[in-house]
Amino acid sequence: MQQVLVNIPSVPIFERVVRASADEVGRALGFSAERVEDLKLAVSEAVNNAIDHGNKRHPGKLVEVVFALHSDKLEVHVTDEGGGVETVDFSRKVVEDQNLDAGMHRGFGMYLISALVDDCEVNSSQSGTTLTLRLYRRSQDHDE
Amino acid sequence: MTNEMNEVIRREEFGDVAVLHIMTNSVDAVSASAIEAVATATAMRPITVLDFANVSFINSAGISALLKFVVSAKKSGYTLYAMNVTPHHQKVFKMVEMSRYMPPIEERDLAAYR
Repeated sequence: MQQVLVNIPSVPIFERVVRASADEVGRALGFSAERVEDLKLAVSEAVNNAIDHGNKRHPGKLVEVVFALHSDKLEVHVTDEGGGVETVDFSRKVVEDQNLDAGMHRGFGMYLISALVDDCEVNSSQSGTTLTLRLYRRSQDHDE
Repeated sequence: MTNEMNEVIRREEFGDVAVLHIMTNSVDAVSASAIEAVATATAMRPITVLDFANVSFINSAGISALLKFVVSAKKSGYTLYAMNVTPHHQKVFKMVEMSRYMPPIEERDLAAYR
């Protein structure tokens, strides 16, 4: 197994660094262009969640991202330094009239993650939360 | 007639149509506030088109910013369309049912208004 590690401060601009890394890792694994876009979006959502909700945008707190390249799958571990969460809601969220009228325009991230990757899981404690995303390699994927 | 709204949106207007060309390639948490700042009724027209030709990435923070246009259009009774959306972003818009509020339009459909 090979690993790529990226640590970023909890500042939104650095999410783009992780996203660029996801793009390169996805291409290196031979994922299709559409799957690379899915990976980038899922990783972006996970990192933004860690920055905003885990680390509360505290620049001194890091978000650690590990891309673990297995023979059969890519795992992405996104870990924050927050105080942990009791539950994470991956249920389907869509734009609705009543939410628009109430000014509620957010909350799509976890749903998008769950819909775009093959599976995902959350491990949380008082010292931080790790969101793990998995994309399994398919027969049409090929190494670069 | 065109003018710069700010560095992320270039506005074009003809008749009852405003085309808002998104100039940033990443509609995300970083560009969201600048995009939201343009989402006012004064920037829009009865037919308002968001042009995504330059956009290569949109995440949920970006979708949140785009929803400000949906709200402004709804309040003003304007119709909002999306143009030059990539197939990937069309998929994402359908997933969150954004397409219901911002259906796709083709550049050639605007020709009648020019």
